[in-house]
Amino acid sequence: MRPALPLFSYALAVAWCLPPSLARLTSRGVSAPLGLAAWLCAMGSVLAAAGLGIQFLFRTIGADWPSLSRALCRSVAGNACTPVVYRSALYELGVAVVALAVTAAAALALWRYGRRVQGAGRRSREHAQVARIAGRALAGTGALVLDDPRPAAYCVPGRALARTGPIVVTSGALAVLDAPQLAAVLAHERAHLAGRHHAIVTATRGLTAAFPAVPLFTRGAAEVARLTEMSADDAAARRAGRGPLAAALLAIATGTAVPTTTLCPPDTSGPPHTPLGGPHVSGVPRGLAAAGYAVPARVERMLRPPARPLLRAVVGLALATVLAGLILLPAVLAAVTG
Amino acid sequence: MRVRGFGDLEAEVMHRVWGHDGPVTVREIFEEMRKQRTIAYTTVMSTMDNLHRKGWLNRDKDGKAYRYTAVASREEYSARLMREAMAEAEDTEAVLSHFVAQMDGEQSQVLGEVLRKLREGLTEGDRP
Repeated sequence: MRPALPLFSYALAVAWCLPPSLARLTSRGVSAPLGLAAWLCAMGSVLAAAGLGIQFLFRTIGADWPSLSRALCRSVAGNACTPVVYRSALYELGVAVVALAVTAAAALALWRYGRRVQGAGRRSREHAQVARIAGRALAGTGALVLDDPRPAAYCVPGRALARTGPIVVTSGALAVLDAPQLAAVLAHERAHLAGRHHAIVTATRGLTAAFPAVPLFTRGAAEVARLTEMSADDAAARRAGRGPLAAALLAIATGTAVPTTTLCPPDTSGPPHTPLGGPHVSGVPRGLAAAGYAVPARVERMLRPPARPLLRAVVGLALATVLAGLILLPAVLAAVTG
Repeated sequence: MRVRGFGDLEAEVMHRVWGHDGPVTVREIFEEMRKQRTIAYTTVMSTMDNLHRKGWLNRDKDGKAYRYTAVASREEYSARLMREAMAEAEDTEAVLSHFVAQMDGEQSQVLGEVLRKLREGLTEGDRP
């Protein structure tokens, strides 16, 4: 007989207690890919532990069913409980109803998840199909242009696990971007496609839909979405530079052209490695961060000097430890309690 | 250059149909396309037949040939796509990965204000 309690305790502890501390480690996006792995691994670990626990539970119940059945019956009806009663169809019916309720709850969670994931995939395919025909090809980039004055850029993932899909840019976006900024936008979207971020985000959103009350899944989905943005930003910055990326973010968000030199001193062609000096530029991050929402935070992150190697190493080590724990603990618990 | 798939052929045909003011025949589209590449008449015909089946083209019998017209203009399709892309429904976010999350008017204004000040500061700073 294998007790399910240790596995359930572990799953509950990770699902409720881990999110705040893990969020502290990953919120600044130092080693974004490792942070992403830690959140996904935590979700997988909790699901695996809970699933294994349920399996242990059912096995134990199944093995001891005759005596368990009698004990249950006695606890309710006392001495009136004879074999005739607890072997009767009515009694079995009651047990069956409870079992059905548990199964129904699980099925509901699965159905919510499936509906969410499938709906996303279908809409995405339809959108991609229409975009491929109605859009104009942007020479040399593989991107599609839609005629619309509102600036926007996005990628439309194909099948759930595919790395392909069109990148759509509006003519309004092209009007406010210069060449390096456009390259940054396209690199960001390509990083989303290459990293299969859509599949990751869709799966975590599906888990939120299935278990709307569990912090690991609700908060985790938001953190995962942020981390995919950060890692796509990092990839775009490596390719096109931090300055052009920051300027492109602002240009599309506000619908006005933002010369990269507005944000970075014109003499430094590459990414700024020191805090931006001068009275005019040091105001940017502060002014933007004060507004406290997604775009300013991303711009600020690009304009801030990259994290120091020591900090990177410490955060990386902490995340690696968390990862190892998330993989090993449930396995150990399952083996030791056997 | 990668080999153009069937979807690209559909796109090209649609773009040519949109380029005409009135209804077009398969023959007219075929003659246009042949000037730029080698293509079989039957390929154009089956592509246009597919587009009709998928709801992109309307067609009317005119003698023994069909005359095709686009169901909606390219602008209408673009507008539809943008409506979908800009929709604030939670679902859309999962489907499309936007470069920048959509901001409401107030947020955009605050950001624009900060940028404007920054630019003014920069021009002053450049000429001490």
